[in-house]
Amino acid sequence: MEFVDYLQAVTDGVMQGAYYALIGIGFTLIFGVMNKINLAYAAAAFGGAYASLGVAALIGTGDDFGLPPLIMFLVSAIAAGLFAWIVYTICFRFTPDHYELATLMATVGAFFLIEEIAVHSTAGEPMDFPEVLQGIVDDPMIEFSDAFAIRGDLLTIFLLALIAMGLLLMLLYRTKLGLATRAVAQQRTAAQLCGISVDRTNATTFIIAGVLGGLAGAMIGAAVGVLSPLLFVPLTVKGLIVTVIGGLGSIPGAIVAGLLVGGLENVFLALRGITERDMYVMLLLFLFLAFRPQGLFGKKAVRD
Amino acid sequence: MSDFTWGLIQIVGVHTILGLSAYVILLTGQVSMAQAGFVAIGAYVAGMLTVLAEWHIIPSMITGGLAAAVLACIVGFPALRVRGLMLVVATIAFGEFVRLFWFNFDYRIAKGDIVVGPEGGEGFKQIRFFPENGWTTQDVAIFIWIVTAIILAALWWMDRSRAGKVLRAVGEDEMAAQSVGINLTVVKVSAFTAGGFIAGIAGALYAHYTTHIEHLNFDILMATFAIAYPILGGLANVWGTLFAAIFIQVIVIEVLRDLGDVRNLMFGALIILVMNFLSHGLFSAQVVRKLKEWTRLGRPSDA
Repeated sequence: MEFVDYLQAVTDGVMQGAYYALIGIGFTLIFGVMNKINLAYAAAAFGGAYASLGVAALIGTGDDFGLPPLIMFLVSAIAAGLFAWIVYTICFRFTPDHYELATLMATVGAFFLIEEIAVHSTAGEPMDFPEVLQGIVDDPMIEFSDAFAIRGDLLTIFLLALIAMGLLLMLLYRTKLGLATRAVAQQRTAAQLCGISVDRTNATTFIIAGVLGGLAGAMIGAAVGVLSPLLFVPLTVKGLIVTVIGGLGSIPGAIVAGLLVGGLENVFLALRGITERDMYVMLLLFLFLAFRPQGLFGKKAVRD
Repeated sequence: MSDFTWGLIQIVGVHTILGLSAYVILLTGQVSMAQAGFVAIGAYVAGMLTVLAEWHIIPSMITGGLAAAVLACIVGFPALRVRGLMLVVATIAFGEFVRLFWFNFDYRIAKGDIVVGPEGGEGFKQIRFFPENGWTTQDVAIFIWIVTAIILAALWWMDRSRAGKVLRAVGEDEMAAQSVGINLTVVKVSAFTAGGFIAGIAGALYAHYTTHIEHLNFDILMATFAIAYPILGGLANVWGTLFAAIFIQVIVIEVLRDLGDVRNLMFGALIILVMNFLSHGLFSAQVVRKLKEWTRLGRPSDA
């Protein structure tokens, strides 16, 4: 492989890494406020994307998708936010606080439930998802040379993801809601003493994470071209890896780690092929666990 | 009884062993999502020994278990560095790593006029020790349940001995356990090693009764089943795991087979319901104490 091939692989990978970053942020946000993992998160995110297909099918006629892709992104985000709230209610709200196993197992149950609903309602068939610029530009490519080009749809997705991340950071650091979220993440009891409702903050965080996940789910559908229940497990695993590499609870960490994993993954793909790609991603995780278990930006104290 | 029934009895036996492999590790308060990986190692190693090296099933099974135990011991050490949720992620990644390893593993030799051995994505076919040696489905089922009974008895005995108390002490409160002189490293790594050995045995049996394994058998679903049995059944004793394995495999999966897809929906919903209403499993320490009071096996409570 020549240098330009590596450059092409890394560029495509980093742009695809945007949705790993969004999923990673979702895991990390929930971990930050609840100190628990929501294993159903990526499944709920795809649930949103499926719901947007459902809404489009209700409105549309014949072969055409009923909604412009960008509206579908919005529908997916709203639906996934709703699903995330449901997951919070059935898996976190009433399970005991100090027995993590129960919550973990309940979210696994929710994962299967969502996956089965998706399989059940589509007969397990992959569903076509519209490209992000469909109807605006056909097959957009920004060509720099014969060997190097940027896919316009990936670039659009990447920019959309950056906007979403920017909005999230503004929400967290410039609003009262964000202040409450950060307070609960930092010191739960103290936040409660200041009159912050922990329960409501937790639910809000789930909804925010769900909205981001819904965007990511629709983006993956648009980038891959199809939605399939077969994507649920790999994306959950990738999202968790991104969360750990970035440092549990760190949003900048999740962003950087998402882009890093996306870029490296594409290089592994180019070098070793699809069957071995993920093994190298996992080796990367093991390297981090062995030499830097707090991740890129995590604090030592967050290790547990 | 029909071959179908004996086949079901085989499945329940192997799944009970699978659940017990996670039970040992859960006692120390660690969640291992890598059990499917250990099962895969036991399955492939034992399969290669009976097919390629033509060993008997019993030494092959034990070697498969030992191979998985060695890997589990190696995983156990970094597991000390990461705890709780990080361990969940690390073990998920390890299990998937093992699965992908077998996905890329190709080692076949000619045996007579056929070529046998693991063949990457195609899987490992023709693990025919049982049919070649004239074991019927019934013989195999009985063999599996002898192994299951030995493991159940060993863990039941361990639970009542000092070792069980030590494992539970670490699971309840690591710092308190350490302060009374328990060596956390030894306990956690031993639990992982024992869990790996038991999972390897389950894998060896699984490979031989199905006669055909492939990497997709050892996915996250299997890892989830492994931890689901002890968590749903409760960690008070080994019988909870046995009960949960029978309940899920026989009632939810077989008896309700006619419900089709709805049955799969029920599995997820069932887990959520149990975790909301019986968070510590069906047979939690509390429930077991009450049961003993009712049957007058235990001492009456202070109240």
